[in-house]
Amino acid sequence: MTAHFVSPVLIDARHPPVVSVTVAHRLRRMWLATPAMGLLSVALLVVFALCGWHLFEWAFLDAHWRGSASDACSGADGACWAFVIARWKPWLVGNYPSGELWRAWVAFGAFAIFWTWVVRRSHSASLRQVLLGFVLLPMGLFALLLGGGPLPFVAPTLWGGLLLTMVVTLATFASALPAGLCLALGRRSRLPIVRALSGTFVEGMRSIPLLAVLFIAATLLPLFLPAGSNIDLFGRAVIAFALFNAALAAEVFRGGLQSIDRGQLEAATSVGLSDFAALRLIVLPQAVSAVIPALVNIMIAIIKETTLLSVIGVNDLLGAIENGAKSPDWMGESNILASGHVFLAIAYLALCLGLSRYSRRLETQR
Amino acid sequence: MTAVPPSASGDAAIVRLIRVNKWYGSDHALRDIDLDVAPGERIVICGPSGSGKSTLVRTINLLEPFQQGRIVVCGVDVDASAITRAARLAVNRHVGMVFQQFNLFPHMTVLQNLTVGPVFGARVNRSEALELAHHYLRRVGLTEHAHKRPAQLSGGQQQRVAIARALCTRPRLVLFDEPTASLDPEMVNEVLQTMESLAREGMTMIVVTHEMEFARQVADRVVFMDRGQIIETASPDDFFDRPQSPRLQLFLGQLLAH
Repeated sequence: MTAHFVSPVLIDARHPPVVSVTVAHRLRRMWLATPAMGLLSVALLVVFALCGWHLFEWAFLDAHWRGSASDACSGADGACWAFVIARWKPWLVGNYPSGELWRAWVAFGAFAIFWTWVVRRSHSASLRQVLLGFVLLPMGLFALLLGGGPLPFVAPTLWGGLLLTMVVTLATFASALPAGLCLALGRRSRLPIVRALSGTFVEGMRSIPLLAVLFIAATLLPLFLPAGSNIDLFGRAVIAFALFNAALAAEVFRGGLQSIDRGQLEAATSVGLSDFAALRLIVLPQAVSAVIPALVNIMIAIIKETTLLSVIGVNDLLGAIENGAKSPDWMGESNILASGHVFLAIAYLALCLGLSRYSRRLETQR
Repeated sequence: MTAVPPSASGDAAIVRLIRVNKWYGSDHALRDIDLDVAPGERIVICGPSGSGKSTLVRTINLLEPFQQGRIVVCGVDVDASAITRAARLAVNRHVGMVFQQFNLFPHMTVLQNLTVGPVFGARVNRSEALELAHHYLRRVGLTEHAHKRPAQLSGGQQQRVAIARALCTRPRLVLFDEPTASLDPEMVNEVLQTMESLAREGMTMIVVTHEMEFARQVADRVVFMDRGQIIETASPDDFFDRPQSPRLQLFLGQLLAH
């Protein structure tokens, strides 16, 4: 009897064996693999149910829905949606003149369409369009909201609420991402002075808290600007956001540029491309698409950072909510402000969840 | 120093290296290299690893700077003291290169890989560049892969695309830096055959390779390098059958030993 290690015939491909597992068995494996894990599962389930029940009780069963002043929400045991329902308009658009409100709605609509398109887009082929959209759309919306020409001028001081949040977010995208790319390229420059300046700026900015940058921009920036130039608080805040996030984006872009093999540049040179053409056609497209998920993370951070605007007195969504809770009609009850904050959280959740899902999909695509 | 005759005459050297020296830091990588290549000539460079073969071909198209000497490539005269970006651009307009790692552009289709150089480098118009690309894609037998990405091709196919890409710039000289060294054995031949057919058509080629059979069949001259120097230059028959220097005899002996 000889052992056969060599198969005398070709073996056809077969299907893998089918293992049948009952539902009960699978449930037990998921929840009660060991006694300790089972205990943990049950404990977490109980905590989750208790918290969920309390939240449900607060948000629905004990909530106050109707009314136009704080006496509609007496007692701190339930949410005060009456506050949200009564004040939603200034939260969305601030003090934007009512005659021109259509411009704000158009801006929201354009943003929503663009956002949906970005989030639902399933192919990474038109990456350039997405990036272009993040630069061109803000410019267009800004021009629309500001007015001029046939449209009456509306000063940015009148903008507020979610509208302002959106505008600051988009303006920061449009300025911080290109500036970050320039800084990243500057750090690889042949000129020592450009290298040193970009490096110092990026490293310095990364070591300063955003809140400090905002305060510096709000109070100190006017001193550095030539006399007569008058940038309002809104503009200064956008500059602060742009500079801060440009430094973060620069580090992301730098990682992307470093990930490109030297051979790519050599091949580009050998087919006769100039250094600039090689950068534009060969290096940048690969570097940028390598860091898209990280860039989206920066975008999400920018959206959430805009709540800091209220600290320096800009009337963004958070500022508008807090101002609302300080108005004479709605003073006195703690659940009023809490309801406003929950509304804020839901609004930001809706914005950021879409974007982070987009980023997740980009990551799984490669 | 010898005077370089004007490149107008037909048999003037297409590449002339005069006393070229190169250092990596304090490491003397190329030592007093003198080499003339005539138009249509096929040169194979071989030698042990670290002998400076790759450095030599990379220096010819100025991917690597050199510190002493002078290089004249296709009429572009570059002194070690005056290596500029403009000079590198001028040289690379005439010289194509095929790399060990293919270095195809992964974000572009095969066709885009072939046209990007002519369109954005040499400013050939797009339809002419496309025609050229299809022509050379047919030459390397990959017409049906024109719209694929490099990652969808086998190693041998990628290297053939890389050869077509180099040809699309209408070079007067093509440099090959170990073109088959990172290929699976069964793909080496398809690349060597492409190179052989290119050689038959009279393309000037400088090839760094360990494929000794290719050297014997195709080369007009074989150059042996060791420790940054050219040790021996000979016709393939003399090179393999009557090696002069002891170091080349040792090298060939080691190749035959296994």
